[in-house]
Amino acid sequence: MTSIGTGYDLSASTYSPDGRIFQVEYANKAVENSGTVIGLRVKDGVVLAVEKIIHSKLLVPEANRRIQTVDKHIGLASSGLLADGRHIANRARDEAASLLSMWRSPPTVQALVDRVGLYVQAYTLYSSVRPFGCSTIIGGVDKTGPALFIIEPSGVSYGFHGAAVGKGRQLAKTELEKLKLSELSTREAVFEIARIIYLVHDDAKEKDFELELSWIGDETGGLHLPVPKDLYDEASRKAKESLENFE
Amino acid sequence: MDHFPTNWGRPRNELYDQYNTFPLHQRPTNHTDTFTDGVQRTQQPIVTGTSVLAIQYKDGVMMAADNLASYGSLARFRDITRLHAVGTSTIVGASGDMSDFQYLQRVLDEIVTDEFTAGDGNSLGPAEVHEFLARRMYARRSKMNPLWNALLVGGIQNGKRFLAFVDLLGTTYSASSLATGYGAHIALPILRQDVDPNPDAITEEAAREILRKCMRVLYYRDARSLDKYQIATVTSAGVSISEAQKLDTNWDFAEKIRGYGSQTQ
Amino acid sequence: MPDGSYERPQQRQFNPYSENGGTILAIAGADFSVIAGDTRQSEGYSIQTRYAPKVFRLTERAVLAVNGFAADGNMFVKKVKQRLEWYRHAHAKDMPLRAIARLIQTMLYAQRFFPYYVYNILGGIEEDGTGAVYSFDPVGSYEREACRAAGAAQSLVQPFLDNQIYFKNQTPAPGASHPTHLPLPDVLSIVIDSFTSATERHIEVGDGLEIYVVLAKGRSTQELASIGGLQELSTRAEGDRMFVIRRDLKKD
Repeated sequence: MTSIGTGYDLSASTYSPDGRIFQVEYANKAVENSGTVIGLRVKDGVVLAVEKIIHSKLLVPEANRRIQTVDKHIGLASSGLLADGRHIANRARDEAASLLSMWRSPPTVQALVDRVGLYVQAYTLYSSVRPFGCSTIIGGVDKTGPALFIIEPSGVSYGFHGAAVGKGRQLAKTELEKLKLSELSTREAVFEIARIIYLVHDDAKEKDFELELSWIGDETGGLHLPVPKDLYDEASRKAKESLENFE
Repeated sequence: MDHFPTNWGRPRNELYDQYNTFPLHQRPTNHTDTFTDGVQRTQQPIVTGTSVLAIQYKDGVMMAADNLASYGSLARFRDITRLHAVGTSTIVGASGDMSDFQYLQRVLDEIVTDEFTAGDGNSLGPAEVHEFLARRMYARRSKMNPLWNALLVGGIQNGKRFLAFVDLLGTTYSASSLATGYGAHIALPILRQDVDPNPDAITEEAAREILRKCMRVLYYRDARSLDKYQIATVTSAGVSISEAQKLDTNWDFAEKIRGYGSQTQ
Repeated sequence: MPDGSYERPQQRQFNPYSENGGTILAIAGADFSVIAGDTRQSEGYSIQTRYAPKVFRLTERAVLAVNGFAADGNMFVKKVKQRLEWYRHAHAKDMPLRAIARLIQTMLYAQRFFPYYVYNILGGIEEDGTGAVYSFDPVGSYEREACRAAGAAQSLVQPFLDNQIYFKNQTPAPGASHPTHLPLPDVLSIVIDSFTSATERHIEVGDGLEIYVVLAKGRSTQELASIGGLQELSTRAEGDRMFVIRRDLKKD
């Protein structure tokens, strides 16, 4: 951390002499240390999954969800600071409602991501605020088909076939590259994504985790919904099985 | 038809309430009083829909409305849907001003989306939708800027049927059969006769037939109605709104009408 | 004008009020109170519904009957109930009847220049255990009375009550005097007769009758034992007790 002590990392409104904004880079650190979040864009839909680290056994199961719904057809999964993720989700809901009222048709994921990206970027401009400590995966099915994006703390957004952020992203990406995403059905993708989350989870170092799964596709009627319990259980069971075979 | 004998025989005011949407019993008198010159504003309905009918039956609630939106006496839009699904267990049917109804559709869709994105497992049922509409309609009438509609709200909640009315004044009530506008005078007596004794005895097909019968009677008698209509059902399986369907009518009797106008023989 | 045009622009105003018929009535006894209303809701010559309650339980010992413009009535009851709930949260007890009466006056008068078009009758048991009836006009004038009728058939029922409750135009037998309070069975008979008669003679009254009976703490419920369609509403057996009697009225 060569930036520490230089004084160029105290504010998001100050560049370092070599053109970096250290506050934004620190925000990325918050993401890198968080549980893995994956999104898959497949043939007929999108699947989102989160490796939610359970900090305390006293927590109610399914509390503090990291996957949220932004519009009927758009879901959002966030890694990094949970509270920042919730704030972005709220903003995304407002933006989706605003786009709907302006165009009278459900917003495309691209349009929503542009708006949210603009908002996130604004927090890299001022000394009075700090950038968001989370990378946001936004996925949905709109009139253009399935769509999947990541918005980083800097405000940049890219579209992906498969997206992974958080601690296990490297291993996850390697696994994602092995998949033929454009041929997978949403239901098949649920099994793959669960398998990858279990795979990248490091039992040795990490505490327990809870798997969060949601999907949008033909089977959900174009709605962003949590994966139903029976499918969730089956996907988790198969994920654990494959883990044993893998090792 | 003006049922108030005191209004009979008076010259009709052509500008006020041309479309007969104002509650009949408080038809304005045609004379002017001291306050006529006072500052007055607010609105009148422009593009209007006529009656909505709804009944409770064995499996849930069934509602019917024709596809016409009139511009005064002009049959302006002939493929308008006046039934609107709200969430997965509620149907709203509207008569009166169609632009006010479209506004309400937007508002309702918005709160349904808000409820969906909250993801807390709660969803809006017909009772909540009706309460919301009643509050909104009453609030607007209290601002002297009403939403010029009479609405029926039907659905299923916790396995129980729900059917209620709300209008531009915020007046609410519920019953096992309801109708707005002209339907309240012409169709409701028929609906009550068929439904009120025992809604549980009415099958889906019977309910459909009852509504079809009443829509036909209305088409014969209501000059602002159309022979193209839709039927919505709400059951425990969810909401469904039918495609537009045509009424089969028989006008043979018109040949034999004698005794008024120039044709007295 | 003769040519069909108008001399000046025609103006019109939206009328925010309506009148939904029906009648309410309350009679106070020495240690009980009876509050009743029919359940028909109408507009003009149309019956909107045969069951729309006009009488509402406010607390363990207070009942409010509202009559006039139904939308205003429902909204007013909703707001009174809300104020009573806030009172409960603040003071951990129900608001006393006379305080509810004053609250209602304040709430009605607050709308003096856009009134709730509603006639209110409040009945129940006072803190001293006596039966009480308060009646209100739409802008909040109120008084405590022994009996009151309001609504569509007020002009039919009130004279009957004047005669039967206040003994107007009745001369007691020499040496005797009129009782100040009637017993409960007599009051119930008068209420039922009032509504059956009003149903006969007024088109806006009928369909159903709801009679709320509030009995002071410790009073015997013996006289209600034989009444049909009775349902107890009290949540505690020891305090004041409340009952409702539901009956049919003619539906024509």
